[in-house]
Amino acid sequence: MRKPSLFLNQIICTASDYMITKKKVMRKFVRAVWVFNWFNSCGFTELCPVVGSRWDMERFGMKAVNSPRKADALFIAGYQTPKSIKRAQQIYEQMPNPKFVFALGACTLTGGMYWDSYNTIKRLEDYLPVFMYIPGCPPRPEAIYDAVFKVLEHVEELPDK
Amino acid sequence: MAAIEQEKTDLVEVLSSELDASITLKKERRMWVEIDSKKIVDVCLKALQLGFEHLSTISAVDWLEEGRFELVYHLWSYKYRTSLNIKTKIDRNKPSISSINSIWDTYAETCERECHELFGINFEGNSNLTPLFLEDWQGPPPFLKDFNWREYTLKEHYKEENPREQVYFEVKK
Repeated sequence: MRKPSLFLNQIICTASDYMITKKKVMRKFVRAVWVFNWFNSCGFTELCPVVGSRWDMERFGMKAVNSPRKADALFIAGYQTPKSIKRAQQIYEQMPNPKFVFALGACTLTGGMYWDSYNTIKRLEDYLPVFMYIPGCPPRPEAIYDAVFKVLEHVEELPDK
Repeated sequence: MAAIEQEKTDLVEVLSSELDASITLKKERRMWVEIDSKKIVDVCLKALQLGFEHLSTISAVDWLEEGRFELVYHLWSYKYRTSLNIKTKIDRNKPSISSINSIWDTYAETCERECHELFGINFEGNSNLTPLFLEDWQGPPPFLKDFNWREYTLKEHYKEENPREQVYFEVKK
């Protein structure tokens, strides 16, 4: 007599195994990072060239998306206030795993030139798990690309689940 | 040119008689009127009826030595192309004035919310004085002249024991 439950289990088991192998293979083809931008004040204007034709970021597979649910990476730039960091946290919670937070620029990291303001965030790591800090005022586009390459390397090292 | 000049002097006369206050012509297209704080709603309503229909903003000035707040209501008239600044002074220790949200509705409410959170001025009749920019703010109103923001920030956000943050304490207060 056939045992349908066992038979089904076998299928599911093989399917998951197959998926893991598939993941490992697929991961080598990962060459794109979709980015959601959370830019305050001058953070946006200083990083506009990254999108523009001179340092075209889509050459390297970076693409700005319009919803956090599609995003792999969250770019935070400009000084953050207690009000804006709450929205950044909401965006981070909506992103699917695996997700990375990049802090761009001096203001985001430590408050920068607004270190003595009563209404800025002094340590971003108190609010969000930061994957990489990119210093500079503003950071050079090359530095951002370097960070993204490091993420792509990191993706291949991620544990299988 | 003469007609414009004539119109302007007419406007000053009409305003000073209607608002029952002296008008100062500071510049071309810029007039000041100083009034008592109790009359603010009446004066704003009169100004609206005379054609000053646009409320640009409400700003506050902290006169620390004098012990008073000065509130400035910036109005603009599309008809005369002239701005009218209504100035009034209130006590600094008990800052309270009637709200003008009956005239300019939600926009006046927003301006008053800002003044309330940055200067601690109470607007009687405005039911929505919740914080606008400063969420979870515990300290005193930050735009007051006697609020030392650097001292407050050092106390709230930094620790002198932390070697990374010692550099902040070396800055002159």
